[in-house]
Amino acid sequence: MAITTQNDLETDLQFGPPGFARVVFRGCMNVNSVGGSWKKLEEGLRAIKVEKLEVDASELQLCDGSGLSLLRYVGMGLMTPEAAVSVRGMDPDLEQVYRAFTLEDYQALRPSSAVKCRSIPDDVGRGVRQAASDWREQIEFLGEVTRNFLPTLWSRRQTRWPEVGRVFEQAGADAVPIVSLVSILVGLVIAFESVQTLAYFGAQIYVVNMIGIIMVRELGPLLAAVLLAGRSGSAFAAELGTMKVNEELDALETFGLDPIRFLVIQRIVAAILLTPLLTFYSTFLGILGGVLVAFALGFSRSLVYHQLTASLHLSDIFLGLAKALAFGAIVSAVGCLRGLQTQEGPSAVGVSTTRAVVASIVLIVVADAVFAVLFYYLKK
Amino acid sequence: MNDQLDIVISVRNVKVGYGGKAVLHNISFEVTSGEVFVILGGSGSGKSTLLKNLIGLCTPMAGEIWIEGINLATAEGEERRDLLRKFGVAYQSGALFGSMTVLENVRLPMDELTSMPGPLKEMQALAILKLVGLGTSAQKMPAELSGGMQKRAAIARAMALSPRILFLDEPSAGLDPVTAADLDLLIKEVARRFGITFVVVSHDLASIYTIADRVIMLDSRTKTVAVEGRPAELRDTATDPQVRRFFRREADADASRLHL
Repeated sequence: MAITTQNDLETDLQFGPPGFARVVFRGCMNVNSVGGSWKKLEEGLRAIKVEKLEVDASELQLCDGSGLSLLRYVGMGLMTPEAAVSVRGMDPDLEQVYRAFTLEDYQALRPSSAVKCRSIPDDVGRGVRQAASDWREQIEFLGEVTRNFLPTLWSRRQTRWPEVGRVFEQAGADAVPIVSLVSILVGLVIAFESVQTLAYFGAQIYVVNMIGIIMVRELGPLLAAVLLAGRSGSAFAAELGTMKVNEELDALETFGLDPIRFLVIQRIVAAILLTPLLTFYSTFLGILGGVLVAFALGFSRSLVYHQLTASLHLSDIFLGLAKALAFGAIVSAVGCLRGLQTQEGPSAVGVSTTRAVVASIVLIVVADAVFAVLFYYLKK
Repeated sequence: MNDQLDIVISVRNVKVGYGGKAVLHNISFEVTSGEVFVILGGSGSGKSTLLKNLIGLCTPMAGEIWIEGINLATAEGEERRDLLRKFGVAYQSGALFGSMTVLENVRLPMDELTSMPGPLKEMQALAILKLVGLGTSAQKMPAELSGGMQKRAAIARAMALSPRILFLDEPSAGLDPVTAADLDLLIKEVARRFGITFVVVSHDLASIYTIADRVIMLDSRTKTVAVEGRPAELRDTATDPQVRRFFRREADADASRLHL
């Protein structure tokens, strides 16, 4: 069995008296040679009806696992379902291995080819149950965070301020370059595109009013929150998810430390503190982008300043601030919740981060709409 | 089973390490066909680093590794692919693909690398799974298996292409003694029946006495091979105190090291 010469496999198919066939394998049966042999046997045996098949393995020089599989396949009669098959001439060592896997084993272990039919009620039920349990978990999480929020902040010992600082730096300070780039570009592009329409009415100067309102009330908070979700909401989910997979959360609980108090509140606090700052920064740069367009059109600095201050009210700025606080809470809480919900398995952390980002962005947009309606009625 | 003692792996004056820092140097040994060769060493002695070099994931900093007469570091293209197909590796954690069933895991190398007909692939995968005792778990996902079963599945996958050499990284790590003993039997049986050469990285003494034909022990202080030989002989004849302690499973007598 240990001869390593790489000569080819010869498959000699002989037909004797009617209904009788004989296969002689000669040479080297390995991964590379079984394919050709298989083809030859299949074509040769399909053509005629065989009642008795004899397999002669006495001239095999080498037979590896794949060769053994071919011998078994033919030997078990799977190629000639109606024939009585006998295999002879195997090397005793090979024969011992050959006998270890029989037709009964093959039939018992084969995956059933029956396609499982999915039932729609089953799927619907499963979906509803999952949605319900997800809702339940979200409500529980919300309740637990609310219950623990103030007590954790009150007690000096439980809020780990260095950790808050770390999150603040990673999610806030480190995000400044990307927030700058995105905000200024969005400001520029919006101003540039709308100026072309305003020009029909000779009202180009109002681009400044427009960009001021749109940035302060809508896009500033939205851009900051979306970037926070992509950069940090996902990071929260990944961090907590990895901790869950590594049983670090279990370790915390056995110390009597509540993961909500120990890990989640810190992140939410940091996010709530940093989103207003990030929002102001994003708003400022967005307006700057619009103002640059106004300057390019030849408007004077004093005119632009006048238009901007005239169009913005304090209430607009408060609305932006309120949105920023809400968005920060949403992004951080959703990120942490998805992290804590991480399941077992190699792709679980990836799934959690995706869910965190998607849910954050959806909730941000929904909350934005709620704010718009609320503000409209409050103003009346 | 094999009368001729041909050399399958030849390691010559090899120095291995990471990022310019040598972990082991002056390593030389030969593995002959059909034997179970164990690389032994305490934690941090560089066993796994050496294994990474043996299977071609890293290139040695100095020296040469020859497998089946081919220099692993300089082999390229078709030659390297052929060489890589001659050996299978079962990783410490199993490294089974989590999105596929056990059967699909075992079939994967055959699907991707050979032109075997489908029914033969299935036949072979099932036969190997039965051999390692996982026949009835063929349809399960890796996450549903216990640690010992995952290791056996990893061995089954490594055997899929009928390799001449199987590398096993810490096969008994994290297993209970009974499961570990079962795994030892499996290794012994596969080596005997199929004439596969095994290179096993381990620190498990109990299993060494069962499976190993020959052992080298790596020393983390001198960073090279401390001893080479048959395990039972080493236990009785070793003169180096650290080797003796290891083989007799004694703690370091100097308790002051514990900083109690």
